[in-house]
Amino acid sequence: MAGIKTIIGLSFILAIGFLLVILSSALFQNYLPLLVVATYVLAPLPNAIAGRCSQPDDILGDGNGGGIVDFGRFMTGFLVVMGVALPVLFAHCQLITVAAMFMSIIGGLLIYGTIISFTMFFQEETDF
Amino acid sequence: MDGNRLWRFHIPKPDWLNSQYMRTAGVYAAGGLFSLGFFFFLDAAVFSKTANASNIHIKFVDWIPIICSAFGMLVINSIEKSQLTSEAFSPSRWDGGTAWKARLVLFLGFALMAGGLAGSVTVLTLKYLVPKYPFPTMYLGVANVISNSLIMLSSAVLWVSQNIEDDFQYNLSL
Repeated sequence: MAGIKTIIGLSFILAIGFLLVILSSALFQNYLPLLVVATYVLAPLPNAIAGRCSQPDDILGDGNGGGIVDFGRFMTGFLVVMGVALPVLFAHCQLITVAAMFMSIIGGLLIYGTIISFTMFFQEETDF
Repeated sequence: MDGNRLWRFHIPKPDWLNSQYMRTAGVYAAGGLFSLGFFFFLDAAVFSKTANASNIHIKFVDWIPIICSAFGMLVINSIEKSQLTSEAFSPSRWDGGTAWKARLVLFLGFALMAGGLAGSVTVLTLKYLVPKYPFPTMYLGVANVISNSLIMLSSAVLWVSQNIEDDFQYNLSL
């Protein structure tokens, strides 16, 4: 179902997101908003690592992998909110302008949405 | 389950709370709340370094409450919660059971967290309220209290979500 059109659309959205983030830093000669890209690229990583470390099959096992999976989700929530909170922090401390803050937040959310929807669309080929 | 009930009023959990979906959402929300609290205080610290017009800065004293809160949260949520109720199976209370150890560690964790919140209010009062600073400086103390409250809320959300898991597993094994 997820064909070539989905890939093209997702790559367009990813490109727009990167464009917004790079513009928000290059327009003002201040490259702090690029940290948002690093945050959102790192965001799906804890879930992936925790998913590998746990065995979801054992129901009777006393939550062996449960703690690790919960920690991965906790870190994911931390990183996603961090991607929004970091530009707001920079703007409040007058390190970047408010326009750069809005551009980097929207760009970061587009990048993260692309990553999430890519994994959702193409999950069924790999799992089980 | 009904035989060793402690409280007389049995309020059943609503069904929407008792699903695996709500548990996952709760863990994500706890991470987000912790991040919000942490960045509130980090914002105050960076603000005191960059855009601050006054002579008052964030020192190590301001960092102590949030360190206590975060450490307390780590302690509380690291405990295996099934150990807290394992006393019913052991014949004697001090018979090398792990229930009292778990409760002692849990008490230390809650004490650390409450100490963090109380410490943030103390810092706000002694360092900012008593000298009567105006508001951009006062924000440094207010952000401290807000961030400690958010970390406490995050810990509560995580605790409740992980208790959902226990009920879920109980229903499965029945």
